[in-house]
Amino acid sequence: MATDAVAISIRAVSHAFGEPGGPRYVRALLDTSLDIARGELLCLIGPSGCGKSTLLNIIGGLLPPATGTVQIGQTPVRGPLPREVSFVFQENALFPWCTVAENVTLGMVFQGVPKAEHAMRARKSLEAVGLAEFAQHYPSELSGGMRQRAALARALSLETGILLMDEPFGALDEQTRMILGEDLSVLLARTEKTIVFVTHSLGEAVFLADRVAVFSARPGTIKKMIAINEPHPRKPEFVTSDKFHSLRNELYTLLHDEIRKAVSQSAIAGTEAKA
Amino acid sequence: MRQRNHDQSVRALLLRHPAYARLGIILVLLLCWEIAARWWIDPMFLSPPSRVLGSLTDVVETAGVPAAIGITFFELAVAFVLSVIFGLGIGLAIGLQRFVHRSFMPIVLLLYGTPQITILPLFILYFGIGPPSKIAFGVTHGMFPIIVTVIAGVQNIKPILMTAARSMGANKWQIFRWVILPHMVPSFFAGMRLGMTGVLLGVLLAELYVSSAGIGYFTTIFTQSFDPTKLLGLISILAAMAIVLNELVRRAEVHYGRWRAE
Amino acid sequence: MSARGRSMRNRLLSRAVQIAFLLGLILLWYLATTQWGVSQLLLPNPVAVYHELMNVLSSGEFVPDLKVTLSELAIAFGISSVSGIAFGYLISRSHYLIRVFEPLLAGIYSIPIILFLPLYVLFLGLGPSSKIALGATISFFPIVLNTIAGFGYVDAIFIIAARSMGASDYQMFRYVLVPAALPVILTGLRVGFTVALLSILGSETIASLAGLGHRIVQLAEGMESARMFAYITFAVAIAAILNTAVSTLENRARRR
Repeated sequence: MATDAVAISIRAVSHAFGEPGGPRYVRALLDTSLDIARGELLCLIGPSGCGKSTLLNIIGGLLPPATGTVQIGQTPVRGPLPREVSFVFQENALFPWCTVAENVTLGMVFQGVPKAEHAMRARKSLEAVGLAEFAQHYPSELSGGMRQRAALARALSLETGILLMDEPFGALDEQTRMILGEDLSVLLARTEKTIVFVTHSLGEAVFLADRVAVFSARPGTIKKMIAINEPHPRKPEFVTSDKFHSLRNELYTLLHDEIRKAVSQSAIAGTEAKA
Repeated sequence: MRQRNHDQSVRALLLRHPAYARLGIILVLLLCWEIAARWWIDPMFLSPPSRVLGSLTDVVETAGVPAAIGITFFELAVAFVLSVIFGLGIGLAIGLQRFVHRSFMPIVLLLYGTPQITILPLFILYFGIGPPSKIAFGVTHGMFPIIVTVIAGVQNIKPILMTAARSMGANKWQIFRWVILPHMVPSFFAGMRLGMTGVLLGVLLAELYVSSAGIGYFTTIFTQSFDPTKLLGLISILAAMAIVLNELVRRAEVHYGRWRAE
Repeated sequence: MSARGRSMRNRLLSRAVQIAFLLGLILLWYLATTQWGVSQLLLPNPVAVYHELMNVLSSGEFVPDLKVTLSELAIAFGISSVSGIAFGYLISRSHYLIRVFEPLLAGIYSIPIILFLPLYVLFLGLGPSSKIALGATISFFPIVLNTIAGFGYVDAIFIIAARSMGASDYQMFRYVLVPAALPVILTGLRVGFTVALLSILGSETIASLAGLGHRIVQLAEGMESARMFAYITFAVAIAAILNTAVSTLENRARRR
């Protein structure tokens, strides 16, 4: 890949938690290298504890890697880069004392967006996620799916080149996930963002991604990269196509043993597996 | 037939609105008080509510009583404001820094748990029998709940909220101003409600103790001269003042704790 | 330094700060009375206070006052706990009664009931009965409110499950309601105890002829500062012992 077509370059990144030799020492991520192209949507999928969320946090500068480097464009990552990278977390990270609109605006305050642009950007991003009518509502008044839309609007309003999403639909029910997944695909087709998306769901990975990085069980490393050659936006019909089924089956075969291994790991160690 | 319908509708009314039943109970109790005070109990010891109500003006016109009540109200107000200022300041100072919290929280809890009533005579000794001692005693009672709840409000923030703010580029001041402070507001108002209760207790205890001036002077006089009418009148006025102040703070808490509806 | 070593160092450091703070206060106290000329009447020498305290303890002088205070406490708490639990249980039997009485009781509790002390003194005199009556009145409320909360808000699923298994009313009470309500009621009893102690000490301070609170006032008026400080220390210690004992009892019973 030509250098300016690479949005994120990850070299030999590894990470561990706890003291080496101590009782809670866990090697989460092992020697991972990867280039993420500008404008592509990459999914990280793997069993619990394989390090995919850890890798995401490292990419975003929230966690320093034990070894290796990450570069965003030409800049090495040494801390949060709010102008380059925005996040959508699995847990509800909306500020409960702010309305939806205030949440979106506050993100821009933090990033340093000039005040004159706040109103317009907020309106644009809320309309993009379909929450324009709920701008004055508090998060406690919204459903789980709407809250994640609001979180996405907040991230979008920051107009960063890169969007990192850590199991954003993990806490939602199947039906909501389906709708949000379709809407997300439509939305992302319009932007030129580079997106890294962590998920547990095989169907979600195949439906949304350009490429899927399949992780092994802990200590995690990329087992295989799978390319999904299907234009954006993905149509609902794609889900019932043979191509979708064969890709999903391929993921299943790759992951099944790793998942079994991860489950037995957590049973033996008795410790909470860190994704 | 109509009688039964009437009974039924009264029952239905009472069932749907417990407030009416409560009012009914209060009225029944007042009635018992009235009857007991008029016909059973020596008027030296208890006075019926009708007479108490009727002679409220007498109480208020007794020389020095309005001034004493006014000064008490002033003491309550000043003590409350000072409690809030000290409570907020100390609470933030302890809550924001983990090391300070670990060092001083046990001391705060120790002080909070001691029976401050035992040192009331000391307060009077040091600050005299005027307003300063009452205010000081009120502040020591009202300050601690606010300190404790402010600390809790600062410490209980979900870590994901701090992470999200950091990921969006917020600096330390922005995190304090836009994340920690708003998160702490409902706890702060709950603390103020408890603080008002403490201030009321502290100031009134001090007032009752000092029998040579202020409210304490009049309660002593009315007690020693076996004048339950005036005593009840005075107590009712003070109780009403306490209710109003409590209600004000409670309303403020409900209004500002709105986002807590999760 | 490793993370674990760092956190242990921090814990030791904060413990050191605490001790330094407390020692510093005592040092200030000592200096104030010996070097800086603060009047002994206002702030007695800590050494003198210590001697007075030992004196009081060894001579047993504290016994009559302590007896008065503790007996007032015991009787007041006895009355309030029995009546509080009884009333609380009766009210909790019906949701309607709960909706009627709970706000009423909570509302009364929010007033500083200590205001009524002069009335009780007028009615019952300066002796122990007025303290007992006031103590019982004030501590009644947290007990009754917690009992209502405990019995009244037992998770419906437990009651449904027990009924479905054929539990009789008595069995329901003994094996479902009481164990479910117990933790909340015990908390109410602890709060009631603490409040009773505070109100008794308070009413002894304001209007009494005997008891620990009264003794402290007496010494204040007699300008016997060192002895007064000794009694204050003693009273605080007694309160701390009693409260800790009650808290421990509550925790142990709850852990069952």
